[in-house]
Amino acid sequence: MRLVFDQGTILLLEPESSSALADLPGALWDPRVGALRCPARFHQRLLAELGQRGVRFEDEVAGPADELPTLLPTDLRPYQEAALAAWALADRRGVTVLPTGSGKTRLAIAAVTRMHVPALCLVPTRVLLDQWARAIQECTGFAPGRLGDGEHQVEPITVATFESGWRHMRELGNRFQLLVVDEAHHFGAGLRDEALDMSIAPMRLGLTATPPTGQTAARLAELIGPTVYELRVDDLTGEFLAPFDTVVLHLDFTPVERAEYETLMATLRDVLRRFRAVDPGATWQEFVRVAARTDEGRRALAAWHRSRRLLAFPHAKRQMLANLLARHRDARALVFTADNATAYAVGREHLIMPLTCHIGRKERERALTLFKEGKLRALVSAQVLNEGLDVPDAEVGIVVAGSKGEREHVQRVGRVLRPRPGKRALVYELVVRATGEVQQARRRRNALAA
Amino acid sequence: MPLLLEAAIPARLDRGRILPGFLDERDQPWLHVLIDEVDRFRGRPLRELQQRLREPLPCATPHFKLRAAVQLLLRLGNAEIKSEVSPAVARETLFSEAAVQADRPRAVVVAAAASTLGLAPAALERALFADLPGERIFAGPDSPVSPHEVALRVNHLIARSLLFRASRVRIRAEGALRPVVRQAKLRGLICTVEDGDPPVLDLSGPYAVFRRTLLYGRALGELLPFLAWCARFELRATCMLRGQEGELHLQSGDPLFPASTPKPFDSKLEARFARDLKKAAPDWDLLREPEPVRAGGTIVFPDFLLRHRFDPSRQFLIEVVGFWTPAYLQRKLSLLRAAKLDNLILCLDEERCCADGDLPTGARVVRFRRRIDPTAVLQAAG
Repeated sequence: MRLVFDQGTILLLEPESSSALADLPGALWDPRVGALRCPARFHQRLLAELGQRGVRFEDEVAGPADELPTLLPTDLRPYQEAALAAWALADRRGVTVLPTGSGKTRLAIAAVTRMHVPALCLVPTRVLLDQWARAIQECTGFAPGRLGDGEHQVEPITVATFESGWRHMRELGNRFQLLVVDEAHHFGAGLRDEALDMSIAPMRLGLTATPPTGQTAARLAELIGPTVYELRVDDLTGEFLAPFDTVVLHLDFTPVERAEYETLMATLRDVLRRFRAVDPGATWQEFVRVAARTDEGRRALAAWHRSRRLLAFPHAKRQMLANLLARHRDARALVFTADNATAYAVGREHLIMPLTCHIGRKERERALTLFKEGKLRALVSAQVLNEGLDVPDAEVGIVVAGSKGEREHVQRVGRVLRPRPGKRALVYELVVRATGEVQQARRRRNALAA
Repeated sequence: MPLLLEAAIPARLDRGRILPGFLDERDQPWLHVLIDEVDRFRGRPLRELQQRLREPLPCATPHFKLRAAVQLLLRLGNAEIKSEVSPAVARETLFSEAAVQADRPRAVVVAAAASTLGLAPAALERALFADLPGERIFAGPDSPVSPHEVALRVNHLIARSLLFRASRVRIRAEGALRPVVRQAKLRGLICTVEDGDPPVLDLSGPYAVFRRTLLYGRALGELLPFLAWCARFELRATCMLRGQEGELHLQSGDPLFPASTPKPFDSKLEARFARDLKKAAPDWDLLREPEPVRAGGTIVFPDFLLRHRFDPSRQFLIEVVGFWTPAYLQRKLSLLRAAKLDNLILCLDEERCCADGDLPTGARVVRFRRRIDPTAVLQAAG
């Protein structure tokens, strides 16, 4: 019998006897080609199972083997060494949970260097694709391939965006032995999971600061492995992460803003209440889906969007932001907004550089360099600074508003925790009284304390 | 052209059928108003047009159709950066100046930066974000579009967006099915053709056996333009829409084909073979995509016709076989033999190929790895 790789799957061809192949892990009969087929992820288990059953076979699954050059070794901090050891002990399949700023990329590069096998690193965004590729080259001396952001260059070590990985894994799934998944919490509940299913890589390392729970966690354990090592911000505060204080500033709408907010929320609540009466257990996403199909529902959704825009940067937040930037004019500050439009408004009003998906790679790199050198006083961003981006040292974080909940907040706070002797970081949260922001801020703090 | 988001596709599910909300002549009045409205914003920032299009038109409009038409028109329109200085330079100069003069009023900082760049402060303010998508100046589409053209394009977008959500497609088509088969093969789809009147094409991806994957949706959707070349077709697609599975029916006569012809999707492998053969065997002509040939219960779509220039009776059909299994090959060769089609040369990819011993004797088969050797093909031709 022969095992061959076919577009993210493994085909079992020319079996001598079909009875020995019953109930193989993941395998199903594919009548279109008259052969058993299983997702590539099962490759290792398939080999073990066939071996146990005494089935003779040729394994032709692995793709063309590229020669890996000598890679420079990567030094690790003690906790990173411990995380890597825990991963190795778990058969090199698992997720490590480490706080933002604790060096997850470095840990992954060390795994690639030490395993010294073809490796594919999956990262969520184009910004991180570039950052990972540069980090790998700096640490190992090897220029990795890039897949995504208009590039299609595959090397024994390659960095791909989630989107490109999903699209191209059917061609590349048999070329890598190690899969590194950055911000692994994005997997386990969505379409992109198929990318991990289509790879034969027996070694899998997931990285996250905010692991998922419930069914998503279980699925992630199937695709990458279980959580094998976990540290929280508190575990590293002092020596490896800077200590920090959070200051929540409660602000008020102007009377005009308050009246508008209440009108908008009344429009939403009215429709939402009637929807909940019919379907009490429905989620917000289900409400949005249903509401989008009627005029009244769409008016409610439009009102909700307008209320979010109002909360994003009302008069009091504008004033407070000006005060905070003036108070910390000698410190480097990161400002976080709910959306790009607010980031540009903040940038224009307070003359600070926005970093958004619309700012090109070269300009972004230049801005980070100037920020590091102290030639830019602050950066403002809605999402680009949230995940993974290696931001130079900053002492002050100002959360003007958020849109993605607790996970986003944990990531944002991590941005100002790069340690330095004598440093104590400060994180401000601007919250409008008597709005949904109050409850959101409470949940964020709980997530940070967890 | 980006596809429509699932929630924004004008379509409804009715007893397992997906009914697309195609635009027709009843939509032309509001399309006219929309096109005029879009045209009015030429020379203004795209942000203003986007803002305007979020508000209702001064006539009744079906919500989802309108949103789809808006998406299409915004994509068709060009937008230009108008600025006296590169916005990136404007940003770096101004924000760096702000760091130096952190305690000075905003106006003073702007004036200082503008002076550095030799601009008026207002020009610097205009340049600051002039390259952002919303700040670009809307210039409209390259050539004027009629409501009818917009309707066709929107319908095409709707059909592709639905096919993007398909896991399996069956096409019954007459005439010009070959380009569809060819495109499907080139996109790595599993493609079986049942002979019939007309023949039926069954398309799906390898992964479809495990779950209702959308992985091949893009490839399935990209086949749609090629159906315009078929004399008559009926398409049945199994799609997931709003959490439910439904069947989408499309057929010739549906108003969904704009005038432009689809961009060909060429195979480097075949192009290189044609080039190599021309060099290695100047006495032979290679014709691409000859007529399909019926053989038993199936239809063969040869990729080439190889014909001797001075002896046209010496001609061979060449098919580059995509993925295959020995059982598939055995079946295919016995069908070819039964149909007395003995001048067909099969080129098999070695990376997906079984050993020589598995091939029936006498079969004209050439094995290749990444490049088809023209000499081997001529040898197989005898």
